[in-house]
Amino acid sequence: MGKFKNPDRRDVLIGAGSTMVAASLAGSLPMSSALAATPKKGGKLTYAILTRNSKHKSLKNAKHPYSGLHIRTKNVYNTLTWVDQGIDAQPEVATKWEAVEADQTVWEVDIREGIKFHDGRDLTVEDVISSYDFHRSKKGTSFAKKMLAKVEKAGPNKARFFMKSPNSEFAWWAAEYRQVIMPAADVATIGYDGVGSGPFKFAKIDPKRSVTYEANENYWGEGPYLDTLETVFQPSMGSAMNGYRSKQFDMVLSIDPAMVPQFEKMADTVVDVAKAGSQMMAILPKYEGSPFMDKRIRQALTLAIDRQKIIDIVYGGKAAWIPNDTHMADFNADFLARDVVRDVNKAKQLLAEAGHAGGITLPTLYYSSYYPEIDRVFQVMSESVKDAGITMPIELKQKSGYRKWRVEDKKKTRKHRFAMGPVGPRNPGANLFRMARPTYNESGYWHPNARGDEYIALYKKAMATGDTLKRREIYHEMQRILQDEVPSLFIIGRRTIDVFRSDVQGWKAHSQGWSGKFDKVWRS
Amino acid sequence: MFRAMIRRTLLSVLILFLVAVFVFLATEVLPGDALDVYLSEDDVSVMTLEDIEEMRQELGLNVPAPERFFTWLSGAVVGDFGVTIVDKIPIGDIVFNPLLNSLQLGAIITLITLPVAFAIGATAGYYRGRRADAWVSTTTIIGYSIPDFVIGTVLIIIFAVWIPLFPAVITAYNDAHPLELIAVSLLPAITVIIGHVAHLSRLLRVGFIETMNSDFVERARLSGVPERNIVLRHVLPASVIPTLNAMALYMAGVLSGLIVVEKVFGYPGLGIELIEAVDTREVHVVQAIAFLGAVLVVVMNLLADFAIIALDPRVRSHVSER
Amino acid sequence: MLVNDKPLLSIVTHSPATTIGVTLVTLHLLNAIFAPLLIPYGSTQLAGMPLIAPGHPDFLLGTDVIGRDFLSRLMMGGRTSITVAMIGVMGAVIIGTFFAVSAAHFGGYYDDVVMRIVDTKLSIPGILFVALFVVGFGRSVTVLTIVVGLSYFPGAVRTIRAQALTQVPLAYVKAARLRGESALSVIIRELTPNVIEVVVVEFAIRTSSAILIVSALSFLGLGISPPTADWGLMVSEGVNQIYEAPWLILLPAVFISTLVVGLNFASDGIANALGLDAARGLGGH
Repeated sequence: MGKFKNPDRRDVLIGAGSTMVAASLAGSLPMSSALAATPKKGGKLTYAILTRNSKHKSLKNAKHPYSGLHIRTKNVYNTLTWVDQGIDAQPEVATKWEAVEADQTVWEVDIREGIKFHDGRDLTVEDVISSYDFHRSKKGTSFAKKMLAKVEKAGPNKARFFMKSPNSEFAWWAAEYRQVIMPAADVATIGYDGVGSGPFKFAKIDPKRSVTYEANENYWGEGPYLDTLETVFQPSMGSAMNGYRSKQFDMVLSIDPAMVPQFEKMADTVVDVAKAGSQMMAILPKYEGSPFMDKRIRQALTLAIDRQKIIDIVYGGKAAWIPNDTHMADFNADFLARDVVRDVNKAKQLLAEAGHAGGITLPTLYYSSYYPEIDRVFQVMSESVKDAGITMPIELKQKSGYRKWRVEDKKKTRKHRFAMGPVGPRNPGANLFRMARPTYNESGYWHPNARGDEYIALYKKAMATGDTLKRREIYHEMQRILQDEVPSLFIIGRRTIDVFRSDVQGWKAHSQGWSGKFDKVWRS
Repeated sequence: MFRAMIRRTLLSVLILFLVAVFVFLATEVLPGDALDVYLSEDDVSVMTLEDIEEMRQELGLNVPAPERFFTWLSGAVVGDFGVTIVDKIPIGDIVFNPLLNSLQLGAIITLITLPVAFAIGATAGYYRGRRADAWVSTTTIIGYSIPDFVIGTVLIIIFAVWIPLFPAVITAYNDAHPLELIAVSLLPAITVIIGHVAHLSRLLRVGFIETMNSDFVERARLSGVPERNIVLRHVLPASVIPTLNAMALYMAGVLSGLIVVEKVFGYPGLGIELIEAVDTREVHVVQAIAFLGAVLVVVMNLLADFAIIALDPRVRSHVSER
Repeated sequence: MLVNDKPLLSIVTHSPATTIGVTLVTLHLLNAIFAPLLIPYGSTQLAGMPLIAPGHPDFLLGTDVIGRDFLSRLMMGGRTSITVAMIGVMGAVIIGTFFAVSAAHFGGYYDDVVMRIVDTKLSIPGILFVALFVVGFGRSVTVLTIVVGLSYFPGAVRTIRAQALTQVPLAYVKAARLRGESALSVIIRELTPNVIEVVVVEFAIRTSSAILIVSALSFLGLGISPPTADWGLMVSEGVNQIYEAPWLILLPAVFISTLVVGLNFASDGIANALGLDAARGLGGH
């Protein structure tokens, strides 16, 4: 048992109803030729999102790229690069990027000419510098703040980025959702006017609930085709589905996998499954008195979870993937699958060696409602580990204050709790950084552990290695360390599922929810 | 009588103060503060503990709790509820539209509930002990025994999905025109009205029966006033008095009661805003909404008390003793 | 057995509605007590395929979204909310009775203080109160029980105090005082027995309302945590499947409603039979 299923092909499921209608309208015309049709201009698209940016508070900050209704800044803004559905970095404002130092610390970026902001101004290298000066400032909370030392003009259309430490995966870093390019302004005011260079402009905002955008007629790239785009925040999956059924929404992003069969039955509906998506991880707290100090118990726990059962029951057998106990997503080319995914006997044996031959009762595992299906994932997991004699109570915590609460810090001990955390899919460097962050020696990560030091040394080496294949070897080595040590537990990876009406063309579900773009979307 | 009214008013002010103290203390024990909730996983991964501490200082979150409370209170007594902690937005801007929306929905509910409840309550009271009464009391009990989230969900399926008369989800903007909101608030209103009518009509039935049995009705009967006149002109108005306090509390409870329908229908009201303010640790918003709610209860109660004192001569004498 | 000089049987069969109510409540209580012995599967056990429709030979009422036997979960689904509601309300009513009766007895400043605390609680939006507690202390059964108790305390004090006030001026209380009984003894021995009917009715009515509130909280995500089987939680788990598997909502809704209808029919009928009036203020909620 337990070989990973790693689909190369995006599963596009089309509702039975829609196939019928399509056939009756277009005879035996195959769907692919419908997709290849010439894009048509005009129309409106309303899409619902189930989660909202925690920073989005009011009209005052609603246009700022850090605090829009959703962290998908791509409707209004552009970034230097863009991560496509295949998780490759593509040019956007940048047309070219290269490391000018062998150790990957200095990068030069060519800025695209002919981009105009919504207010009619040209986008210049000064705007790029000013934007990044903001991102790396004290007010910035993007990855730039951590990693960027300085950015300077290197030519009429060229900017030079000095990183604080080597960053061989600059191209993915430059696509981060907060690192958008805005018209130059001082750090205190930049971004608040909502002027970007993206395919859509802000038209109307209802704080916390919805945003209406209108087409940017002077967009530099292909599109936009839609006249109007509307985002509606609808936290309840049931309400979002009712809204879709009653034709208030044309699209619902990142739906609950349990709803797939219902959407499949609806007429003119496309259910699109992305390559990957976020993972659910559990922090295994390591301090005196915690059962997770013992490596064998950590290993036994990961071997006891029936992940295939979670996929079958919660994800309809398809909309999830089996993680490998690292932060890597299975669409990363450097992903190294575990040899054995589940082995109940081995788990029992490890527990017996650790002195728990008669089974073990773990502390309560806490989780919070990050994803609509999360209750089901944790319930199935908690039942499945019983096979190995593990009793693991679970409890749902309010999302509010959850992250802070995960670190029990009354006496500044930084003692972590046995609790779930969400993990967004990114490029390998950003993924594997998460076990190499400055707080890595806390109880939630490595605790003092020689393998942890080894891991961090490897991470630093990878970041300074320009060659992709050499880097892959290092990444594999790092994953092997994590798979043996199991410093944190990876429960399941979900695949993002979007649903939309079949007249919506040009949209593909994106594993990174924040990277989806509506510029080439049109309605037939 | 005036002394009683003044005493009541002063006590109401005391209660408002106690509510403010309670809310503040309660928000203090919640895990994390406004900043912790504001920052996302991605933010924290690029920030050091020192960065976060510095931001906390800038936002004034490290000021001792009593000091923060009294600063807020000194503003609140002159009607200035302050600004949100993280974004420094005036509380009024945050609360204004949801408050209007909730008041509007509350008004629609009350306007429909009251006459219907009166009619049912009076009918049941008049035919006390007979089949109509039994029928009413059975139906009303069933009416308030079905959870409103079930009623709401069923209404959506029937009237928004099967027969698409109303929107399933309210996507109207927060500052939408009142008329636009009225058009979409019928389903949420009905959801709440079913339970409310059931409750209020039972209250009114009791008041009605009490009044029917009172001396002055007996006297009116004996002096040959037609039955219809007795019921419509005398009993009905008088039967309200004993239920006024309960009704006042009930109306004030509308705010809390709306949260379920706001959630089910996505109605942009104060209940959702309140829960969200708790979730984001925006203490000043919580305070402001709790304060508005408390004012509503207190004022309703005061009005009910005053009305009882003014309307019912029997109470006047012993109200000052209470 | 006689209550208020009336045979118990005549009270519980006061009207057809009362009989129905008492029967429903009895059935629900018997089920809640004996369910662990009767259920065909464990209430959290993944017994079969997800979403099997009712009528299946192995799963009489089908299975839920993750393949747990729905009958077992329905039978177990009232235990937590009934326990939370009953213990919470019982605490509120018992402690409330003491404060109410003593407030009525002593009057003056003590009465004022008690009643101002009650008024303060009644002035705080109920949902805010609950949200503060749940966010602060988590969703455990203990926390919910305390929240229910605190939520119903003020209403109980109000109603019972009103009843006690009618008793205080009566001759038997004065007589007891003249006999030299201590205040505590007057409160417990003389006054409390004479408000006990109101207390019982109060308990029944508030319990039914508490069950509704607990299930509404679970529906809103402020109540009982998975994997516990709970009707309110089951409705919220099933709400997304309403088109595919409407029984996932309807069955738990029927269970909640029959219990609450039963409690209200029973308390209403019993109150009528005893000559009390069940419909009064509904403080706080």
